[in-house]
Amino acid sequence: MRLSVKSFLCSLCLGTLAVARLSEEFNEELHLRPLPDGKLAARFSFSTLLKGATPRHPETLGVEDESQLYTLFPLALGQILREYAVTELHLTLNAGNWNYDRWGYPDEPGVGTGAELWAWMGEGGTVTVDSRWRGLRNALAGLFCASLGSLDEQRTTSPVLTFQPEGSLPNGNASYQLRHATLPSEHVCTENLTPFLKLLPCKSLSGIASLLNPHKLFDADWHGLGVHVRYLESAGVEVRLAFQAVFDPVRAASDKRRDWSLSAVFDRRIERVCPVARSSVIRVRLPQNEVYAIIPSPSTMDKTYATYIVQEVGKPLDVAIIRPEETLFEYLIEPQTHISVHRTLNGASQHAGQLALTITNNHDIQLQTGYLETMPWLLQFYLHTLHAHIDGMPRDDLVKLISYIPPLPHVQPALLQAVLTLPPKTTLWLTMDVVKPFLAYTEHPPDAQRGWDLPPAVFVPFASQNGSETDSDPQLHAVLSDVRSTRMYTPVLLVDLATPDFSMPYNVIIMSCTLIALIFGMVFNLLTRQFVVVRVGEQSS
Amino acid sequence: MDAVSKPALAFESAFTRRSIIASYFLVIFLALPLWWKTTSIERQALPVSRVYAATGRELAFPIHVALDTRNCEVGTDTIVQEVRHHVENNGEFKQNGLSVEVSSATATANDYQVVLRPGTRDPIVDGRKVTVEVAPEHAGVAALQLADTLATLLTPYTSLRSSQAERVVTYSPRYRLAFTLLNEDAAAGNAALSWDVQNALAAQLSPLLERLSVLHNFTIESQVQYHGPLAFEPRALQVGEQIEHGLTPGDLTVFVNSAEWTLSSSVSNDPVLHFVAFIPSSKHSPLRIVDSNGLPTSSNAFILPQWGGIIIHNPQSTGIVPTLAGRPLDTIFATFRQQLSALLGVPELPPHVHARTRGVAGVTDWQLDALVRRRAAENAASAQDTLQSIVRLVAQIEDMPVGEDVKGDVQDALAALDQAYSTAPSSSTEALTFASKAQSVASRAFFNPGMLALLYFPTEHKWAVYAPLFASVTAPLLASLIREVLAWKKERKAKARGPQPVDSQRPKAE
Repeated sequence: MRLSVKSFLCSLCLGTLAVARLSEEFNEELHLRPLPDGKLAARFSFSTLLKGATPRHPETLGVEDESQLYTLFPLALGQILREYAVTELHLTLNAGNWNYDRWGYPDEPGVGTGAELWAWMGEGGTVTVDSRWRGLRNALAGLFCASLGSLDEQRTTSPVLTFQPEGSLPNGNASYQLRHATLPSEHVCTENLTPFLKLLPCKSLSGIASLLNPHKLFDADWHGLGVHVRYLESAGVEVRLAFQAVFDPVRAASDKRRDWSLSAVFDRRIERVCPVARSSVIRVRLPQNEVYAIIPSPSTMDKTYATYIVQEVGKPLDVAIIRPEETLFEYLIEPQTHISVHRTLNGASQHAGQLALTITNNHDIQLQTGYLETMPWLLQFYLHTLHAHIDGMPRDDLVKLISYIPPLPHVQPALLQAVLTLPPKTTLWLTMDVVKPFLAYTEHPPDAQRGWDLPPAVFVPFASQNGSETDSDPQLHAVLSDVRSTRMYTPVLLVDLATPDFSMPYNVIIMSCTLIALIFGMVFNLLTRQFVVVRVGEQSS
Repeated sequence: MDAVSKPALAFESAFTRRSIIASYFLVIFLALPLWWKTTSIERQALPVSRVYAATGRELAFPIHVALDTRNCEVGTDTIVQEVRHHVENNGEFKQNGLSVEVSSATATANDYQVVLRPGTRDPIVDGRKVTVEVAPEHAGVAALQLADTLATLLTPYTSLRSSQAERVVTYSPRYRLAFTLLNEDAAAGNAALSWDVQNALAAQLSPLLERLSVLHNFTIESQVQYHGPLAFEPRALQVGEQIEHGLTPGDLTVFVNSAEWTLSSSVSNDPVLHFVAFIPSSKHSPLRIVDSNGLPTSSNAFILPQWGGIIIHNPQSTGIVPTLAGRPLDTIFATFRQQLSALLGVPELPPHVHARTRGVAGVTDWQLDALVRRRAAENAASAQDTLQSIVRLVAQIEDMPVGEDVKGDVQDALAALDQAYSTAPSSSTEALTFASKAQSVASRAFFNPGMLALLYFPTEHKWAVYAPLFASVTAPLLASLIREVLAWKKERKAKARGPQPVDSQRPKAE
């Protein structure tokens, strides 16, 4: 007995020592909110903080790295971050189009269809940023079973204005570079979710993560997963794994009502807590101006949110919201964001076309928005044909601060950035002529006739630069402070490029061989044949 | 219809026509080498004779043993003679490439020293010195006993069973050591949430890694997992009052659940050695290893050959331990240390020999030297094998391209191998460095991706492309050739019969 007490004390003191050295912290959260069109948005966020750690400095890449001893931090991801000295990393894999008009702004801003990867990396040392970027792509492709390896130089840009670091960059005087690439044709499915779940300390076996049931998640109207690594100067390195989905309780319910519960949405309940989670919270946004009941009773509750501390409430936990008075849900369609964007590619020919955007300001006040296109060289802009119209009237003065890096065929994509001014309650038409290039025979992907997916354009609504105007008008001020400097992604486009007949090389071989053989035969005949004059007439007469 | 000849056209003579046809064949004949060169694959000549000349060559390590018999009454010269005789008769030395030279000269730093003393205690090793005590009544067999001790110390691998030899990992200059604290199910109670791995590593493993730094570099990583389910259900055992759970030898082979345990390492190609401390869930606790008769054994750890080691940790009391530290963790890491040295092939001291300072590293100079010699010999042999495989493969597959880089690698490997042979007598560690370089360069040549290129574009393919051109061009050429030959024969016959007008020997144009 005495011995065990002693050893317990000993382990306790050693334990505190270990905690003091480098502690790690894991927090999990589930945010559920009803969307205006009756859908249910769920956002899982699992963040692991490695306290006191700093990203690896690129100049130390040549020398022996320190041992990587992790408790909660995912080792597989930590190895990649250190191997390529990545300071900040964002990877999102999404399926479906986020419908801003119906659903408003998402909880996680990165909702572009397909795969999007961007990273901030320090410069210096013997290994260049580009070769580390290549290694990072390939390592993440292997880790998440995604074809991120195709995010090559032909898709990589550096739009620093739109993709500012979300954390801090160590050593303020060191220079950092951004690499950004999107792959809209990436399909997200269970082979990406499985490695994602393996990075969580409790996998999908306990705690909030146990709700991540692939059968239900991939049945959702929209779903996407994200990995976000950032460095926080005061705290350390943070890895946040996020999963976001939009469920349709109306579609699932037989009586077409919006009532939902965890067991109905995820087909699972929370049976056990994750033993290493410091906090494990479910926040439910409550319906406003409606009659509803929420069960079981939450840990804390205010007007807008009901909060469940998973460790404290009884298990199994099955949160549900019931609207007893609602019989049949009526859809309500009204734009939910400050601006609405539609982007189309017009023109039927395989040579030229026109890129058209309609941007609608849904507010009574003037707004500004940043506009970013990172276009692979599969579509080449005629920048001089970029024109803005409002109700058929040319308004080119509304497009300002255009910066453009032209594409290099087979090498690098185009980068177009501009600032658009949107007058109140109007729709701005933006058109630009484009040309579609010819691709080399080997550059076509399998199933070439399907066409190529083009990455989404990104819009960033922001406050007007004219500060005095904003201050003078309280309504304007309120709206603009509400305009989060969040990125809005347009849906992806599909471009139809001229595709060759893929049996062409053999046809060419056969054809040219036939021609050569014919010419050869003619010349050969002329050279070797003997010509004689046959006097037919003389003989007969 | 009578054709009227037109001798005015000079080029329509038989000679001109034949020259034209001949020139076509001449062009084809001259173009053949060019065509051959442009369509053939690059096959550099490999130094085949040098590769085969290296076959069977072994590293030779001369070993100096200084015999100190000052404390003994036996005559130095006689005992040196006798030990020499026994050593020469012992085949094990020669098998391992050792040429042992016994003398009574004073030992230098790199020599092995044997001190003979009267007494009855077991031999004691200290550095490169071994003190052998011989009871006065056994003085007659002292030399034999000495030679035996030397044999077990210098060539410890000959007595190794094959099962032990197979678990040793193949040589690599760098290993990743991945330590995992694996809870079967932390949410069900009975778990350790973290471990004080830093201190345990420093206390238990660092000295050994330091000692082995001559051979390998190590990258260390560790993680903790909270859900590591088993892929099978351990069998329940009734032991006294309580239920225990047992792992049969069959279970041990499928113990690692690679689908659920995230153990793999993705960023480097260095081989990984896994060390897993497994804490069974409260449902399977305590978990014991049972023998083939189903009886629990005292052992709680096992080695998976070439993969790593696993220890099953049944805590004293069930429940959640915030941090695993102190004595239980030290025990775990002491086991990991033994498993690591077994996996790396560190020989054990013979049971009757003791080390003076056991230390934590626990590896004496004799053991380390034997390991270095063995790894050097192993690498040299495997480099030779790889080189021969390349040569055989290239000879066997005629379509395989052999680029400049493959040739360069093969030459580099041979050069490194030669250096290994020449440095072995002076320094076994340098020989190891060169042998390991030879091995890595040779395997790089073997796995050169350029050697696969033509497997996807076979010769048949080439013929398929050229046939449409060649077939249609060859047909008229051959036809005209046959026609000319026939005409020429006819002409000769006609000449033999007598002079005749030779205007139109050929069939007339119609």
